[in-house]
Amino acid sequence: MVLYGINFSMSKTPFCSRLRASMRSIKQKGLNILPNAEFSNEKFLYHLKDIGKNFSSDKQRLALGVTALATQPIIDAKNKRVDEKTRKVSVARTIAKIIAGTLTGFFIRYGCIKAIKAFSQIPGKGVPKYKSIFTPKGVTDNTTDAFDQYRNAMGTVVALGVMVFTNFLIDAPLTKFLTNTFVKHQEMEDKK
Amino acid sequence: MANLFSNFKSVMYKNYGENPGKMLVHTGVLGWILSAMAQVSAVVFNDKISKEQKSFLIPQEMADAAINIISFYVVTSSFKNLASKLVSTGKLSTSKIRNYIKAKGVNPADYFGKLDSNIEKDFPEIKGDYKAFKNGVDVVASTIGSILSCNIITPILRNEYAAKRQKEAIAKMHATEQKNEIKQPQSISMDSYIKLASIKYPSGSLKI
Repeated sequence: MVLYGINFSMSKTPFCSRLRASMRSIKQKGLNILPNAEFSNEKFLYHLKDIGKNFSSDKQRLALGVTALATQPIIDAKNKRVDEKTRKVSVARTIAKIIAGTLTGFFIRYGCIKAIKAFSQIPGKGVPKYKSIFTPKGVTDNTTDAFDQYRNAMGTVVALGVMVFTNFLIDAPLTKFLTNTFVKHQEMEDKK
Repeated sequence: MANLFSNFKSVMYKNYGENPGKMLVHTGVLGWILSAMAQVSAVVFNDKISKEQKSFLIPQEMADAAINIISFYVVTSSFKNLASKLVSTGKLSTSKIRNYIKAKGVNPADYFGKLDSNIEKDFPEIKGDYKAFKNGVDVVASTIGSILSCNIITPILRNEYAAKRQKEAIAKMHATEQKNEIKQPQSISMDSYIKLASIKYPSGSLKI
């Protein structure tokens, strides 16, 4: 309470007021620099709306994995601080990590979101109790966009819990296996 | 316990039901945190790693985790917040929304792109169109932010940090060699460093 009082009285000092005004002015100038953009193309807006509605974390993980394959091996391949052999192994290891992480990350998120959808039905006649275990209290309509987003969020949180274990059980051994495979392949290519 | 779970579901529904962009940022951060915890636990509970090695590896893992989490949160949430501001002030909008606002007699020059403007609050009657557009922009911005952060900024920062750490270890090793009076090295040897680095659990892109 005392701290709040100090904070409150400080926020009213001329210095704080000037600081706030300056910050505001900087933000407004930043906004002014950016050009206005107005979208009217129906097809584009339809797809944008669809992304906002249906682009869940599993698809985001897939997008991250695909773009990671395009950037991270290049960053490793251009790392001049290590010798050539190490560089090659590090590229192989990075590719293996991305493949293993993306595959498990995507499928576990996808599965958990589907599972949450199945277990978040609206309670009622003919709906077993376990099928509404993830339905929030007081919600009577599960066809809204907000409810879809809730299912995505809950599915993602459950998936993250699952992946704490699969990180060791699947990702790590799969990464090791893929790295060894890629390195062997690379060595055979070098011998040719 | 049942109450706690019920409250958790309500909080999730209230916070993320209408904000998928925020959900992607927050679950992304949670993913990095859990990933870091898993990696630190892998070292802590590994019997094959000695106490001395653990004292070296645990802080290293924690530093890696801090880089991953902070850079993901700062970059991704900045992208998302900027996009949200552009949409809420009408700087980035659709013809339908803009025409509606103009038809209400609002001067476009005084409204669009002004910090005080907030379409959702000022024109609740077009909330449906506005929300659909905003959610799309938020998700695209969050995804671009996370791609930039995870795939470009974080690997570069981590490489820089690893190189700096390696330089420091080499400098320490030389300093120890020069001090003849110190019989027991205070820091680890370079051989040990290389050995530790090679057994280090992969933290780089092993994001869950």
